[in-house]
Amino acid sequence: MTEAHPPGATVAPAPRAQRQTERVADNRRTARLRPETITAVCVFGISILLVLGSRFVSPALGSWDHVNTIILLASFLIVVAFGQGIVIMIGGLDLSVPALITLGGVLTTSWIDASSGMSLPLIPAILLICACIGGISGLGVTLLRIPPFIMTMATGIITASAALGLTSGTPRGAAPPILTALMKASWIGIPVILLFILAFAILGSVLQGRTSYGRRLTAIGANPVAAHVAGIAVRSSVLIAYMLSAAASGFAGMMLAGYANGATLRMGDDYLLPSIAAVVIGGSSILGGSGSFVATIGGAILLTALSTVISALGIPQGWRTVIEGSIILIALLLLRENTFAFLRRRLAR
Amino acid sequence: MSVSPPRLQAVAVTKSYGATTALENVSLDLAAGEVHAVLGENGAGKSTLVKILSGVIAPNSGQMRLDGAVYAPHSILHARQAGVATAFQELSLAPNLTVAEALLLPAMKRGAFGLVSPYQTARAAAEILHRYRLDDVSPIAGIASLSLAHRQRLEIARAMHYAEKVLILDEPTAALTDVEWLFDLVRSTTAAGTAVLYISHRLAEVRTLCKQATVLRNGRSVASVGLSDASDADIFELMVGRTEMAHGRRTHSFARETRSALELNNVTGAKLKGVTLDVKEGEIVGIAALEGQGQRELFRTLVGLDKATSGQILVGGKPVQPKSPRHAIAAGLSFLPEERKVEGIFSTLSTAANIVLPVIQNISRTGFVWPALERHSAARASEGVELNPRYLDFRIADLSGGNQQKALLARAMFTGARTLLLYDPTRGVDVGTKQAIYAAIQAFADRGGSVLLYSSELTELTRLADRCLVLYGARIFEQFTGEAIEERALVAALTGHSRDPAKSKREAAA
Repeated sequence: MTEAHPPGATVAPAPRAQRQTERVADNRRTARLRPETITAVCVFGISILLVLGSRFVSPALGSWDHVNTIILLASFLIVVAFGQGIVIMIGGLDLSVPALITLGGVLTTSWIDASSGMSLPLIPAILLICACIGGISGLGVTLLRIPPFIMTMATGIITASAALGLTSGTPRGAAPPILTALMKASWIGIPVILLFILAFAILGSVLQGRTSYGRRLTAIGANPVAAHVAGIAVRSSVLIAYMLSAAASGFAGMMLAGYANGATLRMGDDYLLPSIAAVVIGGSSILGGSGSFVATIGGAILLTALSTVISALGIPQGWRTVIEGSIILIALLLLRENTFAFLRRRLAR
Repeated sequence: MSVSPPRLQAVAVTKSYGATTALENVSLDLAAGEVHAVLGENGAGKSTLVKILSGVIAPNSGQMRLDGAVYAPHSILHARQAGVATAFQELSLAPNLTVAEALLLPAMKRGAFGLVSPYQTARAAAEILHRYRLDDVSPIAGIASLSLAHRQRLEIARAMHYAEKVLILDEPTAALTDVEWLFDLVRSTTAAGTAVLYISHRLAEVRTLCKQATVLRNGRSVASVGLSDASDADIFELMVGRTEMAHGRRTHSFARETRSALELNNVTGAKLKGVTLDVKEGEIVGIAALEGQGQRELFRTLVGLDKATSGQILVGGKPVQPKSPRHAIAAGLSFLPEERKVEGIFSTLSTAANIVLPVIQNISRTGFVWPALERHSAARASEGVELNPRYLDFRIADLSGGNQQKALLARAMFTGARTLLLYDPTRGVDVGTKQAIYAAIQAFADRGGSVLLYSSELTELTRLADRCLVLYGARIFEQFTGEAIEERALVAALTGHSRDPAKSKREAAA
């Protein structure tokens, strides 16, 4: 202690500290389950029950094919909700999601000729354009202090109008083979999209939970003032979050184009509220600072499974939406952390 | 004293927040027409007493009587209706209102059809302003456009206007330039039979206005003294109490040659009026100050949260202009902020993540966080502050305030900074935690680190500091070294009494 030693330096671990760690690791097992884990298990559990139960609605449901359809349909939402989740994590909200989905799809079909070999360099280029538009939202939020709600709505409107102008109202062209393959091909009997979503889930979770950037995002969402005081580069982290969200939406647009083999100007419209709902059903706080991507994926799958089952019920569209909305509301109320805390207290007694 | 019941009487009033007792069995009698002072150090319970009397908070136990009738206000408005009005230290005027609205709400003057009439309201307000000699304030001006001094006058005028029975003035001269204005008005208020409770740090003012004072210490009323019989020294002694220190006082002395870790040369801006100080390597320099003497701004300027307009900051001999806390950390300055909840903790993250966050890039490899390495680093950091490693995996929000504070101190030390800036590091923590924090600070200094320590508790400074600087009026007013760091001397300096009488006079004149 008396030798010249930087006062609080992060130096190589001493053997004594090593033993300390082992003791800590032991204690970890006694620490309680993380709420994010409970939420993820619940959401996936409910989804599985829903799919199994749907056999009673129609014999065509509840099968492996039904599961594949759900994953395929949910894949767009999962990609969008990844970006939305990051923005919600830092206490923002991205309303430009539909416009960027559309832009991603429209640029893909109009720039990449289905027969040309240019798709490999052009796909990253289109994603970069989307990210730059997200960067504009991010700059507005950080530098100009415009509320995220307003700023992303504005960039969304501008982007949607630009897509309209670019296409003169009628998007042309078809999707490149690489994207149609992503959505429709199989590899040794397993749909490629399933593998893709698995990989995406792993990468997304690692980014959010296991990188220093993800850690900073959580900290900023939990307490932006403290994050600044603690020496975190708040502005650049927030800026990158908006760029990631825009790129994710753009990519979802490409996937949609590959799925439908074409783009429309309204292709993103149905994804705004579900992207927020998936994040929130997955247990993330709408105010930021908590959440896990795995649970968000569960939320997206639950929402998609629900809509496939309800559409098989054969009820009129209006009532379908009423039922869907009510179920989402109930899920949100039940999946709150308070409910878990309450249950834990009851069980502990 | 008259035979009639006192104007305001408080009997055995107690208020506690969780485990901390802010006010314990405090009793107070206020006669009609009397100006009664309440004296005490920071945290002695003065503000809590004001809040209870003015209806902001309710006491846990005890009783209050107003002219003999039970007085239990449940809001400021309710208290005002009963005839008790308060001018608060943190001015309570909403910035988006006009002067007239601030004065008259919620009873605005009505015109045709029962609608609020801005004209009638402004006229009524102008009358009030005239009565309190505030003719230079326009009733239709926005509060936000007023200077701090004008806002304080308005706050006082409003309280006087509504104080039919009792007027409470909490640090009324903090932003006032013309003290005579206040004194004249207080005298005419008491002449009308209103009782005044006068809370101030400034003993000279208190002596001018009051005959009787109640001294609070650690939430208890320690004495009610006649001011004509008590000398300043007697009163300071009552405020501070006999100290039970003598243990663990540091006795380092630093040679002039010892290198300075931190130097400030005439730093001005963000309220600071030219602060010059230095902290040597291995030295703990204490900052003592009453509320609002520039200590917040001093620390915030050092980490780039406030901007200095002129002057020089040297860290380890190199000039630095801190642009942000991140920049300050990189330069070797680590800051423990004042408000744990607001500026410190990330409630949704684990304690381990909270501790390592500022240096997360150092303990991650190519951007990835390895939980084992993170926990390991956090465990090492928490050893220094005696934080039980059991807590590292808990969400920090589930920890007690004391353990949260230990974690934040561990965070500040773990950045590898050679200079710690600690702003009131033991605010609201229990005795055991205090000891652990003291030990950690001392160990840090023993290893050659430098510490700039502001504390609202003087015992802390007398115990820890090698040197103690008193901030008064946003500049360094006095310096005490070694044995001379002694509470009574500090208290005198805090209120602008220098050991050098000529300096006191200059300060009083300024």
